[in-house]
Amino acid sequence: MSLTMTLPTEDFIPTRYSLLSRLQNRDDQDSWKDFFETYWRLIYSIALKSGLTEAEAQDAVQETVICVAKDIEKFKRDRSLGSFKGWLRNLTRWRIADQLRKREPVAAAENALSAENVDMPGLAEISDPADDALEKIWEEEWRTNLMAAAAERVKHRVREEHYQMFDLNVMRQWPASKVAEALGVNIAQVYLAKHRMLALIRKEVRLLEKQW
Amino acid sequence: MTEAATIPVVPDHELLRLIGRGSSGEVWLARNAIGSCRAVKIVRKENFSRGQPFDREFAGVQKFEPVSRSHDGLVDILQVGRNDAAGYFYYVMEIADDVRIGQNLNSEEYTPRTLAWDLDQRGRLPIGECVRLGAAIASALGFLHRHGLIHRDIKPSNIIFVNGFPKLADIGLVTDLSEAGSRIGTDGFIPPEGAGSAQADIYSLGKVLYEISTGHDRNDYPALPEPLGESAEDRDLIQFNKIVLNASRADYSRRYQSAEDLLTDLLSFQFSKHNPRREKARDRLEKAISIGGLIFGFGVIITLLWRLIWILNHTP
Repeated sequence: MSLTMTLPTEDFIPTRYSLLSRLQNRDDQDSWKDFFETYWRLIYSIALKSGLTEAEAQDAVQETVICVAKDIEKFKRDRSLGSFKGWLRNLTRWRIADQLRKREPVAAAENALSAENVDMPGLAEISDPADDALEKIWEEEWRTNLMAAAAERVKHRVREEHYQMFDLNVMRQWPASKVAEALGVNIAQVYLAKHRMLALIRKEVRLLEKQW
Repeated sequence: MTEAATIPVVPDHELLRLIGRGSSGEVWLARNAIGSCRAVKIVRKENFSRGQPFDREFAGVQKFEPVSRSHDGLVDILQVGRNDAAGYFYYVMEIADDVRIGQNLNSEEYTPRTLAWDLDQRGRLPIGECVRLGAAIASALGFLHRHGLIHRDIKPSNIIFVNGFPKLADIGLVTDLSEAGSRIGTDGFIPPEGAGSAQADIYSLGKVLYEISTGHDRNDYPALPEPLGESAEDRDLIQFNKIVLNASRADYSRRYQSAEDLLTDLLSFQFSKHNPRREKARDRLEKAISIGGLIFGFGVIITLLWRLIWILNHTP
């Protein structure tokens, strides 16, 4: 995992702005911005792994977040819809399927599986050989994304030098001695920064898991 | 780009081509009475929801106009005017170099050279260049602040090159230090406490230095670039990084307290980096360490061999 993922953060800034403008009537823009920052990498990564192009994956991210915004209150009221993680996975899968259908309009007409017309729990129950693979990928990406999102949040609350030591030592797996030498600090400071950062990140992950 | 419906009238200037458009107005390539190319910004009242920010922007330009021509790092404002009947004001500026041919402008193919353009083309800049650019802009910023003005929107696209020299441009948001509007500026260049202070300008410049020295997006701050090896350039980057961190700290009490403090560190860095005596001393030290290491290694091998021979000779 790397905090400076190769994902196009800069490219996503227009996406985020256009998305937020579409959510204009929703209360609390800051919360949705926060939600976007936390989950876009996850949705985007899954979309790319499902075979979408970068542009399609960006659309899938937008549409998924719009769906979350639209249905979050319903989700909160109806716990039979399961965990937030599972709910978001289904929404993501459907929006990815929408993008794939756009490529082949004829095939799409034959495929009656439209997320808009089907109740969520029903669709969630549909078993597909690809589901197991998706489930596995989703689990991995969910964990990685949550760690990255937590680290991103923690980044702004710690000394910049501590973050750099942590980034080189843990994320990029440089030996502590090499980090110490490169940054001109002693090795104990590297271990201390790592310890503090990991403690904060774990705490942040727990908060993120409880958020919804 | 679509031309504006009506070409504004600017005395003694022929407006040739629309070359940029922003939230408050547009920028035109123009030629003055003696044939020199200029940039003319037209700020239209209709682009403001209320009249007050329009008047405030005009007041900012008026205050900046005399200051601009007293420092090499600020884009020169050559003329300011207002047409209330048509609902706009304008200011004439020196023009940025063309990306291909510098100041020998050809109005048909003009593309202004900004730091954003350089960054886009080159990915990241050598540390020596970052230091020189940082020092030029920090000096300009200090000058602006000493005159009681703040910029509020420092970013790579607002740093232009004129005859190859970097200058702080787009002064649309320049205002009095006393008028601290916090929700203004560009995402990622605005500090947590908001954009309306000299400290916030320093933060924004720190983020610019981060982008140009690492090639990373400002939102990646403070992550260091990859790969990061042991070359002289990478060693310089690590040293330069300390200045970037002190300029861009989220906690403003730990940030440089003035643009002059930032400038001092940049100049010290430049001096130490290009101090021939220090470089010679470093070279000598590195050579001594290498020779010492070789002698030590050779000594260890000789000792081991001698010990081995001794053991073999004394083994029954």
